[in-house]
This record gives sequence, structure tokens and C-alpha cells, in this order.
Amino acid sequence: MKKTIIVACVMALLGGIFSLFMSGLWIAAVLPFIVTVSMQVKGRQGFGLGFLGIALLWLVLILLKDVPNHHILSTRMAGLLSLPNAALFILVNVLLGGLIGGLSGWSGAVMNKAFRKS
Amino acid sequence: MRKLIGVLPLVFTAVLVALLSRPIGELPALGKLLDPVTGCWANAESVSKNYNDKLNFEGLKAAVTVMFDDRLVPHITANNDYDLYFTQGYLHAYFRLWQMDLQTRAAAGRVSEVLGEKALKFDRTQRRKGMVYGAEQSLKEMEADPRSKQMLDAYTAGINSYINTLNFKKYPLEYKLAGFEPEAWTNLKSALLLKYMADDLTGSTDDIALTVLRDALSPEAFAALYPERLQGVNAVIPRDTIIQTPSLPIPTPPTDSIAFAHLKATDFEKTEEGKGSNNWALSGSRTKTGKPILCNDPHLGLNLPSLWYEVQMTAPGVNVYGVSLPGAPGVIIGFNENISWGFTNNYRDVKDFYLIKEASASTYWFAGKEQSYINRVEKISIKGKPDYFDTVRYTVHGPVIYDQTFHGPGGLNKPLAVTWMAHKPSNEVLALYLLNRSNQYDEYVTAIHYFLCPAQNMLYADKHGEIALWGQGQFINKWKGQGRYVMNGADSSTLWGDKIPVTENPHTRNPRQGYIASANQTVTDTTYPYWYNGTFHEFRAWRINDVLRNTKAATVEDMFALQNDVYSVLAANVLPVMLQNITPTAISDKERNYLELLGNWDYKLTAESKAATVFQIWWTNLYNTLWAKLYEQTPEPLRPTPERTMQLLKEGSPYLGNIRDAVIASLRNSIDSLDKLKKADRLQWYRAKNTSVRHLTKLAPFSFTNLKMGGWGNTVNAAKTDHGPSWRMVVQMGDEVEAYGVYPGGQSGNVGSKYYATFLDKWVKGAYYRLNFYTANTKPAAKYTWTINPKNK
Repeated sequence: MKKTIIVACVMALLGGIFSLFMSGLWIAAVLPFIVTVSMQVKGRQGFGLGFLGIALLWLVLILLKDVPNHHILSTRMAGLLSLPNAALFILVNVLLGGLIGGLSGWSGAVMNKAFRKS
Repeated sequence: MRKLIGVLPLVFTAVLVALLSRPIGELPALGKLLDPVTGCWANAESVSKNYNDKLNFEGLKAAVTVMFDDRLVPHITANNDYDLYFTQGYLHAYFRLWQMDLQTRAAAGRVSEVLGEKALKFDRTQRRKGMVYGAEQSLKEMEADPRSKQMLDAYTAGINSYINTLNFKKYPLEYKLAGFEPEAWTNLKSALLLKYMADDLTGSTDDIALTVLRDALSPEAFAALYPERLQGVNAVIPRDTIIQTPSLPIPTPPTDSIAFAHLKATDFEKTEEGKGSNNWALSGSRTKTGKPILCNDPHLGLNLPSLWYEVQMTAPGVNVYGVSLPGAPGVIIGFNENISWGFTNNYRDVKDFYLIKEASASTYWFAGKEQSYINRVEKISIKGKPDYFDTVRYTVHGPVIYDQTFHGPGGLNKPLAVTWMAHKPSNEVLALYLLNRSNQYDEYVTAIHYFLCPAQNMLYADKHGEIALWGQGQFINKWKGQGRYVMNGADSSTLWGDKIPVTENPHTRNPRQGYIASANQTVTDTTYPYWYNGTFHEFRAWRINDVLRNTKAATVEDMFALQNDVYSVLAANVLPVMLQNITPTAISDKERNYLELLGNWDYKLTAESKAATVFQIWWTNLYNTLWAKLYEQTPEPLRPTPERTMQLLKEGSPYLGNIRDAVIASLRNSIDSLDKLKKADRLQWYRAKNTSVRHLTKLAPFSFTNLKMGGWGNTVNAAKTDHGPSWRMVVQMGDEVEAYGVYPGGQSGNVGSKYYATFLDKWVKGAYYRLNFYTANTKPAAKYTWTINPKNK
């Protein structure tokens, strides 16, 4: 568990660097896969790792924009999605990133398993 | 097999990411929109963003400085005209790109390209109106003059140098929501934007409705209900300054049967209330300082991003401040160190319709001969659908706008061609170029004479104490009645004749009354020698004249008060008549309770007034009730104006039927609506009318509604539901210009910026900003500065 958290943090850090030249969506789709494959992570752990790492990354990236913006944009975007406030909008947004990251990590883990046993 | 299962999650993830990257139905590409790096979050601008910047542009001739003040108004200082307009183009694009793009696409009838098939009818209307045709005609004229050509070229280059720096991450949020991309700017787009304004201001005429009514009503009734000129108006041009003798002979009308077409149409949509504007100027004899004061508040659609963008532009030979239209170079309404000017819509009819007598599929009858149409095939691209081709047939009169394939108002399916001043070549860009540089009356007159469409009441005041106004536009020397109704397109006598020389347009200079006021009312009285008709509005003009006539030693604060005045001339005239017709015994307690609210009412539509709501609803019902009976037998394309109705009500006209019954019935009919409002706690006028400033997409979270302000279309503060004073300006001339202004929006079009709607609160409250006009003597410290240099090749 502890290891998962540490790896997730490292993944988020790496993602932060990638975000300088890559879109958040691409990072979420690719980075956890690379990490789980290269670290030979297996099973459900892959999903958790990807989810945590990307959710954390997206949360930090979003807060870095949202806090200096005094929630002007997030409040208006929340309204577009019929959400009551900016916090909930950010949560939904972070969960979306987590989901993609999780699936990416899971893909890596499942592949590890499939290819190693043969 | 296991390996295959092993890659399935990967495939699944890839498919999900791909799905999130593209729009589904009406939904935007959610994955791209919510991307924390390149999505909407990239548009979240820090509230303490430092706008200071050093920029380098290819094509610039010399160094340029842009100083932003604390409201983010840019003050451009350039060394030459080219750089000045280049920088303005860059600024417009930097802060307002999406709206410029959308509005010019709308003008050109290209909305389906980005929004899909739902916009097809709109696009077809634009194409058939000849919007692009008109813009092309004007562009030729604009590019033929070196000054306006350079202005457009520079402006376009400035916009494109911004667009070229963009990628998805930097797009305005609306592109990310709607899933389209900015496209390169062209000079034609600026011409289109000006035609868009021309269409907004001269586009709708009552010709078709009046044609139907003229046949349906008795001549006496028609004359009484739709007088060609209303009596008792305060015309824009005071009588003692109207021009003498016309240089052109006044043409005689052809016989009625030759001149006009007869149409039958039934199901008319309700016509929209006209747009309006106010401007007035006081000469020094009526002001406290002895210097003239000029005021202007054009009433247009209340949208975000705002129609206007404030700017000061300085280069050798010019130092001008005012509001500009993103999409067009120059300052539209504003002032410089010597003169100030303001516009209201002139409303003379410059758009006429002709019934086309078809001969064959490719020909029509004109002057006894078969003529061939010139076909213009309009290709309309539709998002997600095959292209749509619409063939628009051009006649000697202009494009056939309505026909069997595209019905006109009232389900009209006969071929109607339109002759419209907006189709004629004109160079409004040059007018603005010269106007921005005018230093005295003669220069102003020379400048505005290039402004041909949309015709405007162009008000002027200068530092030497002069005030003036021209009802400026290109007009035709018409025979009496020409173009008031749909004309017979087969006869040459109905063609537009000579142009009236612009020097003979109605104008006034330093009139004896000491002030000039225009508010879309009738331009002149009947002593003006040339015939014209139009859609004029009188209420605001009556009020402004009443106030100014008694104004002495006026201050700018008095002018603020008048721009925010909510006194209803209509209410003051009709409410006493309405109340007289109420017999206390004939009404219920509930009705009496509402009437009590009107007891001591001062006829002011103030924000919190409940009396205002009761009156407005009762009056609307009364107006409908009064006319419903008359139009039982005939189609109802156009009701008599509220002004005429008011007069008839006071006179007790037979056409109104039993006024007492109508008054009581309409009060009764109002109770339901009033009860509903009361229950919803919306009886206060501002809550009942709901003045809103909406984002152009109408998305509610980007919009502001229920603004706490009084007024209505017929009061000076013409804050209606979605139209109103789009820019309020008060300028006191003198050795130093003292200027104030406010518009309902903010300098940035970015929904995620703190500058998005910065000025809205002040505007709602009727407050103003003192405008920072930089001159050689006063140059306050800038909040941010852009230092711009030519790029070394």
C-alpha cells in the first residue's frame, strides 16, 4: 500500500514534467501504462496505482489554475454541468482523470500477466 | 488467446480516450474540454495576471507601445497608421477573437458550418439577403482608397499575427465548447461585420405588412392608424434649420396600379420592437461651464462578450478615444482633443421590396422585356451533413429574397426581390478614419459624408463650442410613397432614382434652441423637401426634449441622470385615461388592490416600483385588446405604433371600439399575470422585466440575469430584457476633455477572466467611469505595458 502511494506520487511528479509539453488526457492515457508495464505491476494494483497517480496529478494541475483564478472559471463551468459548486466540478474532473489513469494502469497490469505466464 | 485477452483492457482504454476526444451529439469533446493542461483550465486566468509583455511582430514598421490602465483599456501609441491599426487588430483578437469570428460567420451565413443543420434557415436568410454580396461591393470601394485599404490590411495582419500564435490550449473557451477552430481573418470579414451592423439597424422594414394592410383596411382607417408621419413629434432637426431648396426635382409618383403590388398573407409572426438609441448635445449656453456637453447611448443587444471594446489610439495626426467594434478598425463612437461625436439610428427606410413577375424558370419581366436572372449559387457547408446549395436569383432590383422555396413573412411565397442600400458600394471605414482625425466642423462633415449605410444621426460637439447633427446616410430621391409598400417589379418607374446629394441630408448646426437631441424619432418635419418614410420612435425624444428645454447650467451629473431617466411618457399620457374609464363599482377587491398601487405613482419605471409592473402589464393587455377587435377579420401583420395608439386613445377614436369595455376587460385579464408575479415575489419591475446581459451562446452560467435596474424601451434608460444602452458616454468639451463612460461588460471576452464583466455593476447602478484620455500633458502611469517591436528578419 505504502509502495503504491509512493509510486503514485512519483507518477504524478513525472506527469507534472510531461504536462509542460503534453496534454493531460494523453498523460492520463499513457503514463500509468508505461509505469505498470515497466514496473511489472500486476492485477488490481495496476488500476489503483494509475487512478491515484493521475487523480493526484490532475488535482494539483487544476488547483494550480483554479486558486489563482479565484474559482471564476470553475464556478461557471460547474454551472454548465449543472453542478452546485466549483469544488464538485473539480472533484468530477479529477475522478475522470483518475478513471482514465486507472484503466491505463489496469491495461498495463493485465498485459503483464498475460504475457509473462506464457 | 490469453494474450489477446491481455490486450483487451488496452483496447478498451484507447476507445474510451478516443470517445472523450470528440464531440458526441450536442456534447463537446469532454476529455479535451476537461483536460487540466489544455482544456478549459487553460482559460482560467490568474486574477493577479501580469499583462506586461514584450512582443515582436513581423510586418510592423516601427516600435509600438500599448499602455493598459486599471480597467484594462489599452492606450496604443504608434509611429504610423499601419502600426496603429495592426496593433488594434492584434488587441481585438487577443481579447475578443471568438465573438469576431462568430459574428462574421453569422453575417456571411456560415453558422451551419460550426453549429450544424439547426442554423441552416438562418444561413439561407443571410445568403438570400445578399449579405456577402453587399460586403463584396463595399470591400471593392474600401480597397480602392489607399487610406482605408492600408487600415484594413494592417488590421487584418494584426488579427492574423495573433491567430497564428494559437493552438488548442490557447483557444478561447467557446471554441473548446463548440468544437471548432479559428480561421484566418480577411478584409472581407471586416466588411461583413459592418454589413452585420447595417442589417441590424436597417434590416427590418414594415413594407410587406403595410402592403397587406393597405389592401385589407379602408383608406380612411389605414390613414388614421398608419399615418405616414405622426403629428406632434419633436423632430431631430429643428424646423428653423431645415434646408431650403432641393437641387433635384421631386419626382411624380406613377399611378397607383402601376406602382404597387398586392399581396395576401395571413400568418404573420409578431414583429420585434425596434432598437433604439439616444444622443444629445448641449451648447455652452445651457451648461454650467459654458462648454458643450455631448451624450450618447446606443441601444443594442446586451451580450457578453460585449459588442464594444474601449480603446485609445494615438499616432501622428490622430489621438482618439472611444469604443470600437471588434472586427472593424478605428473608433466608432468617441472623441479626440477637439471634437466628440455620437450615433443614433436614423431609421429612414433604405430597404425596399419588389414583386417579381416570373416569365420562365430563368427569366422575369421587366420594362416589357424578358430579362435573365443572374444566378449566384450559395454553397452552405453543414457540420456533419452534405453541403447545401441555394441558388439566389439576382434581378435588376437585387436578389430574390423570398420565393416558393423560401417563404417570406406571413407565409408569403411570391418572388420578392430586395433593393437595399447595404448592397451598394460604400466606404464606412474611410469615414471612421477621417472622423477619428477630424479637428473641426468642416472636417467632421467631410468625414461623415463617406458614411452611407446604416444611416445614422451623427451628433457633434467641439471644444470651440459648436454643436451639430447630420441625419447622414445615402438616400434616394423618391416619389411620394416609393418603397413604403412592396412595389411592382416589372415596371421601370418603380426603380430607385437619383441619389440625394449627401450635402442635402437633414442637418442642423448651432440651432437657436441651444441643444440637439435624437432618439430615433422622425428626422424632420414636412418642410424638408425630399420625401421619405421610416420606422420612427417618439417616446424617448419627447422626454429628452421636455427635459433639455428646461435645462440650464447643466453639469455632467445632470446628463448622467438623464441617461438613467425612467419617466414613461406613455404612462403619463395613457394611465389617466385608463383610470378615468374605471368605475369603482365595476371592479373586484383584488383589482382595486392593484389599482391602489397606481394611486400616487410618478410614472417612473424604477427598478423597485410595483406600480410600474401593474401599469406595464395592464397597458400591454389593453393595447392587445384594443386592436384585437379590429383585426378579427383581417390578418394582423403590424399593429399601429404605441405612439399612435396613445394619441387615438386620448382623442377617443372610433377605430378603438368601446374604450371603457377594453380598459375593464384588460384589467381583468391582467390579474392572473400579476398574481403569478406576486406569488413568485416578482412584482417589482426589475424582477418582472428581467433585464439580462447574456453570453452570445445564451449559456446561463456565463450570463447575468435579473439585473436590478429600471426603464424600458420607451424610457430614456431603455433597458429592455435583452436590449439596452450598450455604451453610455458623456463628454464635456473644453481645453481639457472631461469624459465619462460605461458599458455592460468588460474588456476581456474570456469567461475565465476577472475582466469578463467588470463594468456590469456600475452600469446597472447608472454609475460611470472617468475615462483616462492620455494627451501630451496628461499621461498617467500605466498598470501594464506592452512593448512591441518589429521582428528582425
